Amino acid sequence: MKLAFALAAATIFGSGAYLLLHRDLVRVVLGIVLISQSAVLTLVASGLTRGAAPIYPLTERDVSDPLSQAMALTAIVIGLGVTALLLVLVLRVAHAYASRAIDDVAEDEAEHDAALERLHAREHEDEEAAAR
Amino acid sequence: MTAAALALVIPWAAGIVLALLDGRRRLVGWLAVAVLAANLAALVVLAVQILPHGRVHEVTGDWPSGVGITLRADALGVLFAVLSSVALLAAAVHEVLDGVRDRVFPAVVVFLDAGLTGVFLTGDVFNFYVFFELSMAAGYILATYGGTRRELGAALIFTAVNLLGTFVFLLSVAGLYHVTGTLDMARAAARVADVDPNAAILVAVGFFAAFSVKLGLFPFHFWLPTVYTGARPAVAAILSGGLANIGAYGLLRFGGELLPDELALAGTALIVIGCASIVYGGVLAVSRRTSAEMLAYSAIGQVGYVLVAIGVGGPAGFAAAILYAVVNSLNKTLLFLTVETRGALVGTVFALGALSVAGVPPAAGFVGKLELFRAAVDSPAVLVLFLLGSALSFVYVFQIYQFDFWRGERSGALSGWPQQTLFAALGLVVLGLGLWPEPLLALSRDAADVLVRGGG
Repeated sequence: MKLAFALAAATIFGSGAYLLLHRDLVRVVLGIVLISQSAVLTLVASGLTRGAAPIYPLTERDVSDPLSQAMALTAIVIGLGVTALLLVLVLRVAHAYASRAIDDVAEDEAEHDAALERLHAREHEDEEAAAR
Repeated sequence: MTAAALALVIPWAAGIVLALLDGRRRLVGWLAVAVLAANLAALVVLAVQILPHGRVHEVTGDWPSGVGITLRADALGVLFAVLSSVALLAAAVHEVLDGVRDRVFPAVVVFLDAGLTGVFLTGDVFNFYVFFELSMAAGYILATYGGTRRELGAALIFTAVNLLGTFVFLLSVAGLYHVTGTLDMARAAARVADVDPNAAILVAVGFFAAFSVKLGLFPFHFWLPTVYTGARPAVAAILSGGLANIGAYGLLRFGGELLPDELALAGTALIVIGCASIVYGGVLAVSRRTSAEMLAYSAIGQVGYVLVAIGVGGPAGFAAAILYAVVNSLNKTLLFLTVETRGALVGTVFALGALSVAGVPPAAGFVGKLELFRAAVDSPAVLVLFLLGSALSFVYVFQIYQFDFWRGERSGALSGWPQQTLFAALGLVVLGLGLWPEPLLALSRDAADVLVRGGG
């Protein structure tokens, strides 16, 4: 059972990491969602005991570990909130850049750096000229 | 209600109210500042209660011990909580004086304060994750503050990378629970010695990666320069002076207290990564010509010192790491806030911050560097690297000082006297801690003592 959980979590994590490397921002978000799900699955798998549903009054001796399920539930809720936040952020970036490819964001950043670099190079040349 | 509970509840409840109000109004901004000040006051009361050697241990919701979530305040947690609260308060006052541009800004800063207070005062690993995510979510929203293309792009990178970091942390939490069977930090620390070493190392590596991303250490730093230069000065000050403290605290708490054997095992690796961070940050900071970029790369270099001190370990190493983390957070808050302003006092305060980063007396940075040298005195190679790093930091901060103040290249608005008073107050804190370092030294030793004695 442990092996099944481990394989499932690893597959989901791997798929998430693969999607994360895409240039489309929506796929990047999906990748992060998948990775969060793999963390939730690991939380479920980390339970110390396995058995019947832990509903009070307990009728059976062996019940599943309720703590890991509470953690998984909390993690799912937090994951939902954060994913919503991330999607809004992607929406705003897509509006601002008129594109949803991460390359365009990176390109903009590179252009900004290059412009700064040119500015400083020019200043440097001016200083050299003044010194001469 | 106790001071610990008050410190948590005040910003939490006030944040909900503030979220409904328009933060661009002056009054709402000052209300947020008042909430932050109240939180700081509660934390100071708590600190006075527990120092020098006491601790407050509370189980929430009247649950029996071992079932309910525990809050616990010890010297380490309270020190970091007070520090972050000071950084947030300073940044919030600065932004309110400057004019808030976004309706959610005051509420988000207050939520961040609630999250940070929770992170530093909780005694439960999963609860740590919840507060951690609360602070990070506030941080993601703050990174978009301003709303121009550059800020949005930077915020996207910040959010994506740090979300990955928190999920790696969550994976490690699951692992820690499975191998120790408890979420309580003190119990986990007591049981972790009997755990299979391979599993413990795996868990430790996960925690290390998660907190290193937060701190922006060398191989995990790639998101940091974009975000710190893209964000507005107040936001950069909050992120580097407040939010980044989670990284240093997490490494100390999870490494020093929960997984001490694994930390000792990885000591050399941590020192190597820390030194790489120092050199990388220093060299790139020297090559930059604007203050914001210089500060961003300097941040990578400065956290390297903290990591090296943690790698050295032991009471002296932990005390040096805590002290340096405190000093570094104050420096960064001061420098990022003054970065885009001009004024009569700004030059003086910037020079003071620069002296502190370079580790020149009388600024607080000198004390931090002195303790680092003392902690690492046994290994000459590390000392040489510290010297190199200090020389680099001296070069880059004064190069920027020269560009900005001597040649008058500094851009930005002239700041009024209220803002200058704020800068002067922050400058006085940095100067005061350098001139009279005894309380801070004693405090960082107490905090390190908490780690070395273990959770008991």
